[in-house]
Amino acid sequence: MTRIALTVNDTPVTAEVTPRTQLAEFLREHLLLTGTHIGCEHGICGACTVEIDGEIARSCITYAVTCDGAHIRTIEGFDADALMADLRRAFAEAHALQCGYCTPGMLIAARDLVRRKSGLNRSEIRTEMSGNLCRCTGYVGIVDAIERVMAGGPSLQSAPPQGLDRNHGKPRAQAGGDRVRSWLGPAPGPVASPTPAPPRASPVGRADVAPAPRRAAPGRARGPIEVTVDVLEDVGAESRIRQSFVLPHPRDAVWRLMSDVPALARCMPGLALDGPPSGDKVSGRLEASLGPIRASFAGEGTLRRFPSDFRQVVAGSGGDPRSGSRASGSVDYRLSAVTDEAGGETTRVEVIIGYALTGPLAQFGRAGLVRDLVRRIGEALAQNLDAQLCDPGAALPQAQLGGLSLLLKALADQARAFLSRLLRPR
Amino acid sequence: MKPVAFAYARPASVGEAAQMLAAEPGAKVLAGGQTLGPILNLRLAQPALLIDIARIPELAAVGEDADGATIGATVTHAAIEDGRVPDPTGGFLARVARGIAYRAVRTRGTIGGSLAHADPAADWLSCLSALGTQVYITGATGTRTLELDTFVRGTMETALAKDELLTAVRIPRFSPRARFGFHKICRKAGEFAEAIGVVAYDPESAIYRAVAGATNGRPLVLALRAGVAAKPFTVAEAEHMLQSMRYAGDAYERQLHAAALRRASELAFAP
Amino acid sequence: MLGLPAQSKGKWGSPVTDQGIGARLLRKEDERYMRGRGQFVGDIRLAGMQEVAFVRSPLAHARIKGVRIPPAHRGRVFIAQDLTGVSAIRADTSLPGFKSSLQPVLAADKVRYVGELVALCIAPTRAEAEDVVGEIALDLDPLPVVADMLQARKPGAPMVHEHWGDNLYLTSAIDVDFEAVKAKAAVSVTKELRTSRQVMSPIEGRGVVAQWHSRLGQLIVHTSTQQPHIVRSGLAECLGLDEGQIRVVAPDVGGGFGYKGILLPEEIALAWATRKVGAPLRWIEDRRENLTANANCREHHYILSAYADAEGRLLALDCEATVDSGAYSAYPFSACLEAGQIASILPGVYDFPHYRCRAYSVATNKPPILPYRGVARTGVCFALEVTLDALARKLGSEPNHVRFKSLVRPEQMPFDNIAKRHFDSGDYPEALRRAIEAIGFAGVRERQRRGEPDGRRVGIGFAMYSEQAGHGTSVYAAWGIPFVPGHEAALARFTPDGGLELRIGAHSHGQGLETTLSQVAHSILGVPHERIRLVHGDTATTPYSTGTWGSRCMIMAGGAVAAACDELARRVLAIAAKLLQAKPEEVRLVAGEVVGPAGRIAVADVARTWYRRPQDLPGDVDPGGLEVTAGYKAKRDTGTFSYAAHAAVVAIDPETGELEIMDYVVVEDAGVLVNPMIADGQIIGGMAQGVGTALYEEMRFDAQGQPLAATLSDYLLPGPTEVPEVRIEHMETPSPYTRFGQKGLGEGGAIAPPAAITNAVNDALQGLGAELLVSPITPRRIVEAIARTRPPPQAPAAVESPPGPDGHGLPGA
Repeated sequence: MTRIALTVNDTPVTAEVTPRTQLAEFLREHLLLTGTHIGCEHGICGACTVEIDGEIARSCITYAVTCDGAHIRTIEGFDADALMADLRRAFAEAHALQCGYCTPGMLIAARDLVRRKSGLNRSEIRTEMSGNLCRCTGYVGIVDAIERVMAGGPSLQSAPPQGLDRNHGKPRAQAGGDRVRSWLGPAPGPVASPTPAPPRASPVGRADVAPAPRRAAPGRARGPIEVTVDVLEDVGAESRIRQSFVLPHPRDAVWRLMSDVPALARCMPGLALDGPPSGDKVSGRLEASLGPIRASFAGEGTLRRFPSDFRQVVAGSGGDPRSGSRASGSVDYRLSAVTDEAGGETTRVEVIIGYALTGPLAQFGRAGLVRDLVRRIGEALAQNLDAQLCDPGAALPQAQLGGLSLLLKALADQARAFLSRLLRPR
Repeated sequence: MKPVAFAYARPASVGEAAQMLAAEPGAKVLAGGQTLGPILNLRLAQPALLIDIARIPELAAVGEDADGATIGATVTHAAIEDGRVPDPTGGFLARVARGIAYRAVRTRGTIGGSLAHADPAADWLSCLSALGTQVYITGATGTRTLELDTFVRGTMETALAKDELLTAVRIPRFSPRARFGFHKICRKAGEFAEAIGVVAYDPESAIYRAVAGATNGRPLVLALRAGVAAKPFTVAEAEHMLQSMRYAGDAYERQLHAAALRRASELAFAP
Repeated sequence: MLGLPAQSKGKWGSPVTDQGIGARLLRKEDERYMRGRGQFVGDIRLAGMQEVAFVRSPLAHARIKGVRIPPAHRGRVFIAQDLTGVSAIRADTSLPGFKSSLQPVLAADKVRYVGELVALCIAPTRAEAEDVVGEIALDLDPLPVVADMLQARKPGAPMVHEHWGDNLYLTSAIDVDFEAVKAKAAVSVTKELRTSRQVMSPIEGRGVVAQWHSRLGQLIVHTSTQQPHIVRSGLAECLGLDEGQIRVVAPDVGGGFGYKGILLPEEIALAWATRKVGAPLRWIEDRRENLTANANCREHHYILSAYADAEGRLLALDCEATVDSGAYSAYPFSACLEAGQIASILPGVYDFPHYRCRAYSVATNKPPILPYRGVARTGVCFALEVTLDALARKLGSEPNHVRFKSLVRPEQMPFDNIAKRHFDSGDYPEALRRAIEAIGFAGVRERQRRGEPDGRRVGIGFAMYSEQAGHGTSVYAAWGIPFVPGHEAALARFTPDGGLELRIGAHSHGQGLETTLSQVAHSILGVPHERIRLVHGDTATTPYSTGTWGSRCMIMAGGAVAAACDELARRVLAIAAKLLQAKPEEVRLVAGEVVGPAGRIAVADVARTWYRRPQDLPGDVDPGGLEVTAGYKAKRDTGTFSYAAHAAVVAIDPETGELEIMDYVVVEDAGVLVNPMIADGQIIGGMAQGVGTALYEEMRFDAQGQPLAATLSDYLLPGPTEVPEVRIEHMETPSPYTRFGQKGLGEGGAIAPPAAITNAVNDALQGLGAELLVSPITPRRIVEAIARTRPPPQAPAAVESPPGPDGHGLPGA
């Protein structure tokens, strides 16, 4: 619990909150100011819009603890506000609300717009209001109402400077109105409230993330291996990409490395095997991250080799108990010998990477982002294979690609249907 | 949709923040929280500690000199939109800021947070890549400066080490004759961009760059040769540029990015 | 007759006042909402209340081998085996061949869609409840998934309910002399069309606060519902309680659109658990649950052929329709609410002689399909109207040529169509003519000839529909779902101070019934608007009603309020006549007063006399007093058919696929409008949702049944910049079958936009040879449709897989 002191609708409030308490939750559950509605909890719908130090903000993705010292104004705090009274009248006359759920956020955003800007046409009003969703009205009434108030009488036209409450014609009832105006960061800025003591760091149970070692490339003066990428059609639930690169090493050497599972695993950043393979089975853990999103998939996989074709397939699946997500995927390599310009033997590696996610991670729409992550995993793999072939003892940049850990586990996997076959005794 | 429990700390200085980052591997930096908040609420990120840097005075500082402007990492999009920070591009930054998400997000979202998160669809990432921006970084053991190109490694991945924070961006000054174009294609207002095109041209400093952004990877930056005319790109030129940038996407995505580039050039070189 | 004629001829013009039917009155509801003082389920806090979060299935189809609950959480986590005495939800129809599904409250043996409830977790806060959820481990044995409705129909597909032997809830069919058309038709087209799965997306999700009240011996459930009485029946059935032991309260509800017209397993689970743990429980659906697990609707596939003679007169439709109904039949409207209606709706507003339609309600491993504004009609209108435009193109005529040749004509009204629907009134060709005029059709064609300076392509499209509303017993009895709407009741009573209180069992959640029913009462009794209050949303205080859905309230609840007020007026007049010493036939109600030959008395004074000065009443007064519960039944229960012509002009950027709706016109006939402002609001709001269907909203699933949109960044709702300005014209042909000529109109706005916009898109792209037959029409779909018309590039972008020992595919793939 963290103690916070703030001002809500001009009333000082102190409270004990957990850091994870959303501002909206704090207003609704602690202060019973239920006019602030929760619609999406990810900053899109605008139902939870409030003012923090005079600027509109989403109270669902702002945490109460960060508002220590701030001035919050909710819909209940606008009862006596003259501009809001104008907007309420206009909203009623223009039929700008039906179920009323989006209305508090809509009104606060509309008031902020009218306060900041004047003379906008309807299309501009629509753009400015695009952060507030209404499912009932089709917005026409809302635009009508704002347009009407914006074009209203002289009392409404001269927007006061920022940080001023136009309706009282005086600075907001808070210390340091000027400070608010000059502060360029998120409100409230460095107010004179006690700073919570930093908790003592307790790095428990986490694998340490070593600083990225500089890439050692002994005996090599050339650039990184060039990797070409194609996005293939999805197969069932599985997304697939193809990568292709040429390693300046003979095919037999590459094949030897690829047949050495522990060595191969070392080339995959984020992948840690539990031990040497047992038969064609391996188990391990794959750490992956995409920005702040981290997952650690524990699972099993299997290897299939087709030596006559210089082809190997690693497939498997695993789960991340923290996020409740599962990943499955496969990496299918095929080597072919290519003679380079100097007449030496090099090896073309064709890789098809397939992956599928289930659970919350899969439902996080932006599929293209994961695709880029998988692509980069493949690229790092190419560099690591090359480095390993140049110097079998080389330290590999395990932590260089944060993303690797996420999908490498996935790489050990296949589609779920295949997985369930795979995990059954054959 | 409530986050997992996390600890919360509010360091008073950048140095203190870096020390905390170094000490707690599960820590995550919180600035405006407009990207992190949703991810926390969805429990996609489950940090042990949030380090709130939004009140560190030096991070919200701005400055300018003859060569350019420095904008602190926690300066909000709204502050830039409202023209409250020095703008070495003569208004281009404010134009871009105005199109980021929604006002209620811009009042808390920060320029540094946007870059450090490195979401390919983010406006600043593409815009600042075209301007030759540098980023200032402070870690537990020192500071360094990187070109934005080098700083961004890929989707949501940067060169920041575990104990480092982005503290400010440095944007070079452009001449009054400089021209800029920024065009974003998205499914609806305020949404994630599907394609971004940026063109920056300054005849006095011989800068002429085109950027393809929102590519699902890092922004693709093309320094145009001195010989390329300062005029709107043709379809063929835009497509050729994408090719030079080694853009990888399907036919539709390629067409979209070519259009974004072309329209950015039209905005830049509008008579 | 008292104050109000039984049938209104022409636009209602009450001489009484400006507060009655037809007045553009501001809403009573607005003030509390605008001050943040509405009370939604999430706003309710009860002493000792605990919060609930659910463990949901991560897989679309799997056998549950076990649920591991850490010992520390025993007593606050409940699974299927704990729910003794709780029955599964069963929503059968009596249609022949229907296969029943039992929807478990918590999944027991297997899960059938991602998001299905597996365990209920209780904690003091929602965050802590989610923490508990995170610690429950499911041991699931994956089963093959069927996520696509067309796959699901094929032999050998994985089965959602194994004992069925296939995946068909129901096959509906109609054939009216179809084969004969083939000898007559000069031209025909066949189109394959598809509409995507959608999420209704009220800004407030579902929410439940459940409490066992020991003194009353009653389960009190506050829930965000459109139909409290139906929820009560459903809870009683599933929990094995008497209905009298249950009170359901629907407080302010933040939008419904059909999603809140179903019984949720969550409601039953909380109702059971609150008694078990002895504390009030609250569950507030979050957006992720709403999107990925619950609020699914509309997913249709059509193969539709249209036949015409050489003049362009429609001769026949031949349709095979498939609807993805998901894993279970939802209560009370069943899994067939969409597909089961397609055959009867498809003929639209047209008169033609031959017809064949088969419609399949298909089970898949996806969330159950639920009602959404315009139920079935949005998809049907899309399929029919887009196909009609294609037919017209094939005939080389303007699209409306076929419509004008084939529309039911006003002189045919009332008209029984080929599917035995009884159209009550209207002038369909006139609506279309007005839409053509209003949109400036000739001007748009001229503009198209000139071309656009910016290279965009302009197109114009039309669509028409009719919407059956307020249909009653006979229609639903044939369908045979868990409830059949019968008579609607309302209570009206004067308070001792002369105020009027109305009580209805339906619910208002944006429709403005607190205002419009007050207008109805005012028209009859003349009581000032501000003295009339509507009570609704509580089974304890309101008459039984099947609730608010199907655009029925103004017909049914409006009719019931009028009936109650008529009776109340009769009693007021009887008392007033005595007080005025006049004969009953000599007095009448005028503007809130009873006027007699020799004097007048205010209605409020009559009320005061009745309650507070009974000594002044004559001895033979009717002791029933000034409180009346009256019922309403339509003269004919086949419903009203409001209808509209929508017209859209779009401009498309062929390079990026970006689309702008440049103009939009609605010509609508919903009979007598009670409040034109609210009527327009319903039309525009529905139209905005139609724009979402047409251009933005798509709940995608992968082949393993994983939903692919958990946020509103992934599932796009139209915002202010996506919904165009719209111009509306009303026709107001009174319905002959309703109390004052009104017709239902709540859903209509959402029906036609996908069809009108798609027709405009296809008009714009006609010159390029591209055609869009799927909704939503996304920029990608536009660009790809255009690209398909070009010759393929010389070198295909994707490289074929090199051959391998087993095809170099994935092992086992």
